[in-house]
Amino acid sequence: MGQELPLEAVVTTTELGIRHGGTLSLEGRTIIELCRRPMSIAELGAALEVPVGVARVLVSDLAATGHLELHLPQAPAREGGTDQAILGRLLDGLRSR
Amino acid sequence: MDFAPARPHRPSSPSAPARIIPLKVLVAGGFGVGKTTFVHSVSEITPVTTEQAMTSLSIGVDDTTAVEGKATTTVAMDFGRITVDEQLILYLFGTPGQSRFWFMWDDLSSGAVGAVVLVDLRRVGDCFAAIDYFEDREIPFVVAVNCFPGADAFDERAVRAALALPPECPLIDVDARDLRSSMDALIGLVEHALARSTAG
Repeated sequence: MGQELPLEAVVTTTELGIRHGGTLSLEGRTIIELCRRPMSIAELGAALEVPVGVARVLVSDLAATGHLELHLPQAPAREGGTDQAILGRLLDGLRSR
Repeated sequence: MDFAPARPHRPSSPSAPARIIPLKVLVAGGFGVGKTTFVHSVSEITPVTTEQAMTSLSIGVDDTTAVEGKATTTVAMDFGRITVDEQLILYLFGTPGQSRFWFMWDDLSSGAVGAVVLVDLRRVGDCFAAIDYFEDREIPFVVAVNCFPGADAFDERAVRAALALPPECPLIDVDARDLRSSMDALIGLVEHALARSTAG
């Protein structure tokens, strides 16, 4: 396995997960249900009341079977910086709140 | 007209049409400086905090003499969430305050938009380590003076000098209890990060 999933990696349930999630374990079904709305690994760990490390493993397994889709943070455009276009959108979004 | 053919199987969800881009901001500073309060103010979810009663072991690690009425310290992490638009989700992570837990920072800071370093003017030295940390790693940060007693109308030059702040680093004041004020600090950080990235 490669690098650990970051805490802020977001997870969403796939169509496969929605259709076939019923066959999963209780934990799996709970995750599939929770991730119908985008949720980070950190949020999932808290919602399931398990350590983040456990949430990472559960999510990795369900992503490997296609029940979940992972949305990883973008690699920085260059050393030490978030992409400018993304920063611009973030700024607009925060200002409009 | 015929029904459209079934779409080939794709891993997508009706509730998540677009690729989601998670972002994160760190909220750092000394013990009891208001990190948890700040995250609570801006988060749209009830932030999760694991706090454990301080043990005698941690006395001496954290100086609590100036922190009235705070009997516990955050040994896990607070995090909050701001859904910016349908694609961007910003997560806020309160960094563990005790130096014993700084091994967690490297994971946390990797890929961060930047950091808000909270300062209590009665104990400015508490944030030196956080400032050094972000400076060393060239992570954009702003220093936000939390409005504790005695913090109104601080002398910007004196504070900058005390913190040895680089001139380009924004120094702002914040009321961590207030959503608008805390959001303004976040906006200040993103403006700073954007200015830095534009300056290339």
